Amino acid sequence: MKFGLDEYAYLDSPIHRWSPKCRLLGLGALIFAFSFVHSLTLSPFMIGVTVILYRVSTLPLSFLLLRLRIPSFFLLIVAILTPFFTGSTVLFQLGALNLYKEGLQLFLLITIRFLCILTLGLILFSAAPFFINIRAMRSLGLSPILADMMLLSYRYVYEVGDYLSVMRTAMRLRGFRGDRLNRRNLSRLVMLAGSLLVRSYEKSEQVYKAMILRGYGQSSPIHKVQVERPRDFLLLGAHLCLAVSFIIAGIVY
Amino acid sequence: MHIPDGILPAKIAISGYAVTGLFTWYSLKKINQLDNPQAQIPKASLMAAAFFVASWIHIPFPTGSLHLILNGLVGTVLGYFAFPAILIGLLFQAVMFQHGGLSTLGVNAAVMGAPALLAYHIFQLRRLLSMSKRKPQEAEPIFPEWEGGVTIHPKQPLKPQGPKFWAAGFGFLSGALGLGLSVLLVFALLIFHLPAQLDVELEQQAIYSLTLAHIPLVILEGIFTALLVMFLQQVKPELLKTQ
Repeated sequence: MKFGLDEYAYLDSPIHRWSPKCRLLGLGALIFAFSFVHSLTLSPFMIGVTVILYRVSTLPLSFLLLRLRIPSFFLLIVAILTPFFTGSTVLFQLGALNLYKEGLQLFLLITIRFLCILTLGLILFSAAPFFINIRAMRSLGLSPILADMMLLSYRYVYEVGDYLSVMRTAMRLRGFRGDRLNRRNLSRLVMLAGSLLVRSYEKSEQVYKAMILRGYGQSSPIHKVQVERPRDFLLLGAHLCLAVSFIIAGIVY
Repeated sequence: MHIPDGILPAKIAISGYAVTGLFTWYSLKKINQLDNPQAQIPKASLMAAAFFVASWIHIPFPTGSLHLILNGLVGTVLGYFAFPAILIGLLFQAVMFQHGGLSTLGVNAAVMGAPALLAYHIFQLRRLLSMSKRKPQEAEPIFPEWEGGVTIHPKQPLKPQGPKFWAAGFGFLSGALGLGLSVLLVFALLIFHLPAQLDVELEQQAIYSLTLAHIPLVILEGIFTALLVMFLQQVKPELLKTQ
């Protein structure tokens, strides 16, 4: 069971070559700056910056489209709720339903902001393997407990996902059809979740012993992620300036 | 249940990160007070991964199917590791599935993680109750079966409820309150921070209806947690002996 997060981590683009620590700070600041935007007049700039960064990262468009499958459900709800139930200026009527100008503007604003932040997040976490990003967070002051938990959870989430797939298949082969909510089905699903937890717990005991044998806990050096070059700081400065501009513009407009 | 990017104003997103920072600091402080915190890390990490995966299990429901949040159960099993585990799980969901969001990670972690810590404390209350039931029994004089040729029957003690009963009861409370509080927090956030342009009355009605619609899910989550706690107590009781 793979989620393809590291699939494009080894591309060669200016974003991929950018030091992970600076990339985390620069793109992170831009993500927050975008949430300050409350006016549609700033949206073209937000879209422009996002498109440029995505193009520079050389990530394929299909990768972004694939990642939009789950959030599209949220967009659908916003699309139904806001343009038809929000506002006072009627643009046109669809039978009993009115399409409002203010609602449409709000829908566009939420959708653009959402897509731009999502795309930046995708660039941020796809430009390097996940463990490199965790190391970068660690070098920025993330607690060692959190960093270790993140690394171990990420390492084993695939394996635990595979346990679940195997157990589900085994249940189906034995005739389980969980299509109705009744006591029998619920108890089977409880056993499935419980077995998953017990297997993971037993695995964690083995993992801990293996880690101890390899010297875990003796010393916890902060791994140097990548030496920052002047170009990295220059890029970081440019992103921070851009982020501050969006924040100021978001407050003013 | 997860608030996506772009919905909340920036000040709320930033406040969410501040609250999450506070809860994380408190949890890490408590974790560092343990005898050997490093020994707990692999267990907490794998359990965090397992909870993340277990939330993909779809439960059949009259309107289709749903997946459980399990934040109450995470608190019950992981104790103070629950908050970091939920934070990590939400980061994975935002990064891997674009479910939730990076700018709203702080808010989502706070509304899911704080009830998980409360669920942990609620579940620990069962020890107090089972102890208070046991103490009078231990204090009662033990009569020999046979004394001086006369059989003395000891006073029959009240039949205490077994630990399984308490575990199930508090498991239900932890699971239901964990999700219930999260639902209330999410909807309170949405109600108080709706964009100004929205038809507030209509939106609030929609949000109240959605909150009420979550009540059966809260009960289902409670039942699932209670059954799972009973299963764990039978199969792997050490999993419930948090800290």
